[in-house]
Amino acid sequence: MYPFGQGPARYLPYLLLLLPLAQYVIFYAGPSLFTVIYSFTDITNVPGKDYHFVGLDNYRDLFFSGNASERWDSIGRTLYFTLVVTVVQNGVALLVAVLINKRLRGDTFFRAVFFLPVVLGVAVVSLIWTMMFDPVGGPVNQIYQLFGYSDTFFGSFEHAFEYIIFVQIWMYMGYSMLIFLAGLQSVPKELYEAGYIDGTTSWKAFRHITFPMIAPAFTVNMLLSIIGAMQTFDIIVATTDGGFNTRTMAYDVYKETFRGSLEMGLPSALSVIQFLFILVFVVLAVHFLRKREVEH
Amino acid sequence: MQDSKISQFLSYTLILLLVVVYVLPLLIVFNVSFKSFEEYLLNPMGIVTDIQLSNYVEAWNQGKFSRYFWNSILYTSASTIITVIISLLAAFPVARGYVKWAGFLYLFFIMAQFLPNPLVAQFKLMLSLKEHMPLIGYDSKLGYILLKATGTGVVFMMFVGHIKSISRELDEAASIDGCGYVRYLFQILFPLMKPVIATGVILTAIGTWNDFVGPLLYLTSPENFPITTGLKEFRGQYGNNWPLLACGISIVAAPLIGLYVLIQRYIISGAMAGAVKS
Repeated sequence: MYPFGQGPARYLPYLLLLLPLAQYVIFYAGPSLFTVIYSFTDITNVPGKDYHFVGLDNYRDLFFSGNASERWDSIGRTLYFTLVVTVVQNGVALLVAVLINKRLRGDTFFRAVFFLPVVLGVAVVSLIWTMMFDPVGGPVNQIYQLFGYSDTFFGSFEHAFEYIIFVQIWMYMGYSMLIFLAGLQSVPKELYEAGYIDGTTSWKAFRHITFPMIAPAFTVNMLLSIIGAMQTFDIIVATTDGGFNTRTMAYDVYKETFRGSLEMGLPSALSVIQFLFILVFVVLAVHFLRKREVEH
Repeated sequence: MQDSKISQFLSYTLILLLVVVYVLPLLIVFNVSFKSFEEYLLNPMGIVTDIQLSNYVEAWNQGKFSRYFWNSILYTSASTIITVIISLLAAFPVARGYVKWAGFLYLFFIMAQFLPNPLVAQFKLMLSLKEHMPLIGYDSKLGYILLKATGTGVVFMMFVGHIKSISRELDEAASIDGCGYVRYLFQILFPLMKPVIATGVILTAIGTWNDFVGPLLYLTSPENFPITTGLKEFRGQYGNNWPLLACGISIVAAPLIGLYVLIQRYIISGAMAGAVKS
C-alpha cells in the first residue's frame, strides 16, 4: 500500500518519475533504438534532411564495399584486443589480488597505487605514456637501447597497437584487482585451516579452495573486461588517433560518425554489428562461467 | 597458514616491481616538469638540477587551465547532483513498488547497459537540439551536463538494492507523522542512504571528470572545454616540449592525486561495491 496520501497525492511518485524517465528515454534508450533504425536508412547528420529506408544496404557496404578489408582488419583487431586484455589484465589482477590478500605490509597502499590510473583518467594516462614512450627522450626507449633495440612506439605500424593494449591493461588492472580482492575477502578462513591440517600445498589450496570460491568475482571480471575492451576507443583516440593500424570497431563507429562523411547509416550499422559481437561474447562467457560456478 | 620466508620474499618482490611500474612514470613526469627545455634535451631522465618553477606559470597561462578547470568543476558537480537526485526519484518508487509496473520499469532502466551503443543517434539528437533548442543542444554546457547525468545504470541499481534493505515500516511511520513523499525522500531516506550515495557520487564524478571523448564530440568551443580537452589542446600546441607538457599533466593530475590520497578508502570501497553489484 502506498502510505503517502490518497487521491491526487497518490500520483506524485508517477509525476516525479517523469524526470528520470525523460532523461533516460531522450538521451539513452531513444538514441539506442534509433541507432538500430538508422542502420537501415541513408540518413545524414544534416538536421532536417529527409531520409529513406535502404534495407540492408549499409550492412552490405560495410562488409563488401571498397573499404571492406579495413573493416575485417578492425574486427580482427578488436577480437585480438579483447582477448589479450581479458587474459592478461585478469591474470595479473588475480595474481596481485592473491598476493595482497596475504596481508602483506602496506596492502592498502598497494591497492591505492594500482587503482590510481582509473582516477587519473584517459587524458592524463595517455599523455604520461606518450611521454614514457617518446622515441627521443623517453625512458622506455633508453631502457630498450641498453639492449641494443629501439622503437618508435605509438608512431609506427610495427607495434603501436600492442602499446595501446599495454596502456589499457596498465590503466584498468587495478579495477579487476579490486573485484578479485572483494571475492577473496569473502572466502572463509576456516576452509584454509582445514586444508592446512590435511596437508594441502598452497597451490592445491588455491586450485581447490580459492579458485572455486571466487568464481562469482571471476565472472564479473570477465564480463566487465570483455564488454569494456570491445567498447574501448578513448585510449586509441588519445594516443594514435587511429593511425598506424590501431583502429578497432568502436573506434570506427566514432570516426565515421564524427569525423568522416556526413552519412550516419553506416556507423549505425557498425554499432549494431558491434552490439551483436558483444552479445555473443557475453552469452558465451556467461554460459561457460556459470557452468563452472555450479560444478564446484 | 604461515607462508615460508622465500614465498614472502617473492611476493614482496613481485608487488614492489609492479608498484615501480605504476609510480615511476608519475615521478618521471614530475621531475621533467621542472626542467628547462635545454636541460631536457641534454639529459632527459636525469634528476633536475636547475628547478624551473616558471614552467608551471607558463603552462598554466598558455594552457588556459583555470578556465578549463572551472568548466570541469561545473560539469562534474552539476551532472553528479542531477544523477543522484533523479536516481533517487526513480529508485525509491521502483524499489518499493509504489508505481505500477515497477518490475518492468526496473528492467527498462537497467537495459541501457545491454542496448546497442547510442553514440550515433545521440550525436544526431544533439545536432537537432542545437537547431531547435540551442540551450541544451550540441556545444552547450547544459546539454553536455544533461547528457552526462544518467539517472539509470549502476547508480540506480545500487540505490534500488539499498532501499530494499531499508524497512518499509519506516515509510508508514513517517507518513503517519504527516511526512509527505518528497520530504520523506530528501529528509529521511537521503541520510539513511549516505554510504551508497557516497559511492554513487564518487563513481559518477570520476566518470564525468575524466570523460575524454564526450567533450571532443559535443563541446567544440574552447570556452566550453573541460580540463581533459584542455590538456589535449595544450599537447597539440606544444608538440614535443615535454617539460611544459609535463607541467600540464601535473597540473591536471595533482588535484586528483591530492583528493585521491584523502578519500582513497572510500573511492576504493565504492569501486568495489559498484563493480560487484553491477
